[in-house]
Amino acid sequence: MYNSLGRFLNCTLLLALLALSYCIPRDPAPQTRARPPVTEAGFPVSDLPQGQFGGRLILSQLSDPRTFNPIIAEDAASGAIGGILFPGLTRVNPVTLEPEPELAERWEISEDQRSFTFYLRRGLTWSDGHPFSADDVIFSLDTVIQHPSVITRTKTFLSVDGKKFDFEKIDDYTIRITTPDIYAPFLIFIGTNIIPKHIYEQHLQDGTFMQQMGINTPPHKLPSLGPFRLMRFVPGQRIIFERNPYYWTLAPDGSRLPYLDHLILNTARDANAAFIQFLSGKTDAENIRPEDVPMARRLAERRGFSVIERGPSDGTSFLWFNQNTGTNPNTGQPLVSPHKLRWFRDTRFRQAVSYALDREGIIQSVFMGMAVPLWSCESPANVRWFNPNVKSFPRDLARARALLADAGFKQQGGTLQDSEGHPVEFTLITNKENTLRSDIAVVLANNLAELGIAMRIQLLDFNALIGRISDSFDYEACLLGLTGGASDPSSALDTISSFGRMHLWFPQQKTPSTEAEARMDELMQLQLRTLDYNLRKRYYDEVQQIMAREQFFIYLVTPTVFGALRDGWQNLRPPATAGTSLLWNHDEIWRPQP
Amino acid sequence: MKKYILQRLLLLPLMLLGISVISFTLLKLAPGDYLDSLKLARDVSPELIERQKQQLGLDRSAPEQFLRWLASAVRLDFGYSFTYKIPVVELIAQRLPATFLLALCATLFAWMIAIPLGILAAIWQGSFFDRLSSALAFFALAVPEFFLALLAVFFASQTGWLPLSGLTSIDHEFMAPWEKVWDVTRHLFLPTLVLGIGSIASLMRIMRSNFLETMRAEFVTAARAKGLSEGRVLLGHTLRNAINPLVTIFGYSIAGLLSGSLIVEIVMGYPGIGLLVYEAFFQKDIYVVMASILMASIMLVLGNLVGDIALALSDPRIRLDK
Repeated sequence: MYNSLGRFLNCTLLLALLALSYCIPRDPAPQTRARPPVTEAGFPVSDLPQGQFGGRLILSQLSDPRTFNPIIAEDAASGAIGGILFPGLTRVNPVTLEPEPELAERWEISEDQRSFTFYLRRGLTWSDGHPFSADDVIFSLDTVIQHPSVITRTKTFLSVDGKKFDFEKIDDYTIRITTPDIYAPFLIFIGTNIIPKHIYEQHLQDGTFMQQMGINTPPHKLPSLGPFRLMRFVPGQRIIFERNPYYWTLAPDGSRLPYLDHLILNTARDANAAFIQFLSGKTDAENIRPEDVPMARRLAERRGFSVIERGPSDGTSFLWFNQNTGTNPNTGQPLVSPHKLRWFRDTRFRQAVSYALDREGIIQSVFMGMAVPLWSCESPANVRWFNPNVKSFPRDLARARALLADAGFKQQGGTLQDSEGHPVEFTLITNKENTLRSDIAVVLANNLAELGIAMRIQLLDFNALIGRISDSFDYEACLLGLTGGASDPSSALDTISSFGRMHLWFPQQKTPSTEAEARMDELMQLQLRTLDYNLRKRYYDEVQQIMAREQFFIYLVTPTVFGALRDGWQNLRPPATAGTSLLWNHDEIWRPQP
Repeated sequence: MKKYILQRLLLLPLMLLGISVISFTLLKLAPGDYLDSLKLARDVSPELIERQKQQLGLDRSAPEQFLRWLASAVRLDFGYSFTYKIPVVELIAQRLPATFLLALCATLFAWMIAIPLGILAAIWQGSFFDRLSSALAFFALAVPEFFLALLAVFFASQTGWLPLSGLTSIDHEFMAPWEKVWDVTRHLFLPTLVLGIGSIASLMRIMRSNFLETMRAEFVTAARAKGLSEGRVLLGHTLRNAINPLVTIFGYSIAGLLSGSLIVEIVMGYPGIGLLVYEAFFQKDIYVVMASILMASIMLVLGNLVGDIALALSDPRIRLDK
């Protein structure tokens, strides 16, 4: 008995050790500071003061990346990794919000504003030592994206009205790209990630490209052009990057950046866990939710970090009424009952609702004072395009009542009725995963009750909600939010244009159903067809005015973003908007070693 | 014996088929599919969604999707994950070692505590120790696992003595080998405890009652009458017979721990297959869910089989062939 039990224990112990050794990765390769010599003059030199080499930056992410393939990445974590490993020809400077050279050293724009000649930086190599050239660029931006086996939304960005760009290789370091028509956001979208042709060409040919660069890819198959290269991915826990010894931006003393040896993205289970990790000194920067701000401020000095108010977030939150005039294809019934549709399509009704809402109350009760009201489709965070001069709807019940009376509604006892005597009541749907949203909905219902409008709240699973608003269109009103897009009006195209899929109040219209929508369609096309910023700004300003006046979306509030940053980080370049990390310039930042 | 094992193995595919039909149907009954989240993303054209739908096979009818999946699953190809675009098997293989390690630790922990405790409680039947251990066991059985996990997380966050979640520290990769072992041990401590406590309680109660029953058997009296020392009577004769039912339970418990650890993994942020399956479930990444359900079922059947065989080997009175 003892013997067999002993043997059993031995066996299991052995198994446990085996499993343990499987889980514990081997030692990382010894860190080399020896960098390849700088071969060509003309590498950019950081204009910030010389720093010290060494150390690591640890940031948190709320989920693992789904893929390392930047061409098909859909989630934030994957996108962030694409940004570290695979820079593009251009990038949007987070401080100025304007496109600036990245892998391209400079560019020229032709007379007709449709041809762009890019001059690539010379002497760049991938982190596996393979030289970078125009072939990688054409492979990534044209061959891959146009390939029939590849499904990517980048294809939409790199085309005008469905017509693709024309790519011409002039020599190994010069490319001319011609657009079918003038395309305003060209310099932003052409900065999409460049991937190594020498590794992925074969996979494109054998049709397996979509399955490449998954999270099971060994680091040596993911050579980088950025400041760091992948060292190890530990599923469910973290991603570790090490310095890319071939990185091409130089420190003032002429050695290659980055200063840091490692960059670690640690996967936190949720925002709570991320916050606790930051407080315990494990990570270097964190976004702080409004409810955590008081605690963070109290602990800041003792724990050696500072809390920074970063201004409004670039996201939006809004409610809207279903204005779809269509019928249910199965039953032939109208999607929205006709008398309600009449209210919903009446601008005065929507304006009255907007006047009745107590945005200040939402800010105080739901966001503890840490949010700002929104009146139109751009958050004030988007400093380059935000238009402050739009119609606003501060709480004003008298004006709300006047507008309703003008539209034929009347008070009958405690309830509001339309001209035909229907009591005004509707159901607002929102997703139950987001508790902030259900809190907001409760405030809205109370506000509207004061006008005699009965608003019911229905909380749905996110999937079910999407089904209702984008497939069956079987709903009356909905409360949702959108996270910030790219800082260019073209990213609002799908929302603003009446043919758009995200034109949620009445998506994919054949012809615009109101004059205001027709005008917005026209303005969105006009701003798309000029490279002149001032002109585009004027067009987009008018779009924001129309969106505010018409209240197609009844915009609510956007929270203030708070960041916390551990003391001691040097060479920061404060970004213009709250959407960008305080430590975005990974290659230039450093922290004195203890 | 061989015939019995063969019978069991032959029944396995039939059972797996039943399980897959049921779970696939349930997955399809819930509203929405994987592409729903894409529908609310900016800059996604309807054509893009349509093409994805075709590529993922979501444009086909549910029975057709199932049959196609089944046809490839029979050839041991469990398909690609919608979210990760890599084979489901590789995805699960990435996470399995962590789950397996936890299950193993929890099993070892539970058995090493429960068996001696059960024996002692039986030997000292009616004593203060016996009553205390019974009370504790009932308490442990009554507390749900997820609640215990929450308590553990709360304990870790309040004291700061043990890590809150994960299997390794952020700077794990930069540690010396012995530091790494210590690091993993610290991280495993609470999940092992949470997962093990429930089994300790039930195992201990079973061990105690078996032992008591065997102590009253005639052969024990006979052994005593032979003049054997009390130690030999209890450990050599009584234990040898009392432990048989537990051998069967061992098979069950291995299988149960692997699927039972899902909740603990999710609550405690342990990077095993639990979190993966949980996320896959909400994102409607159906093939990941299907594969993990199949895996758990196979483990259960094999675990039972191992238990039965072990029992047959340890107890010569039991013959599996009738």
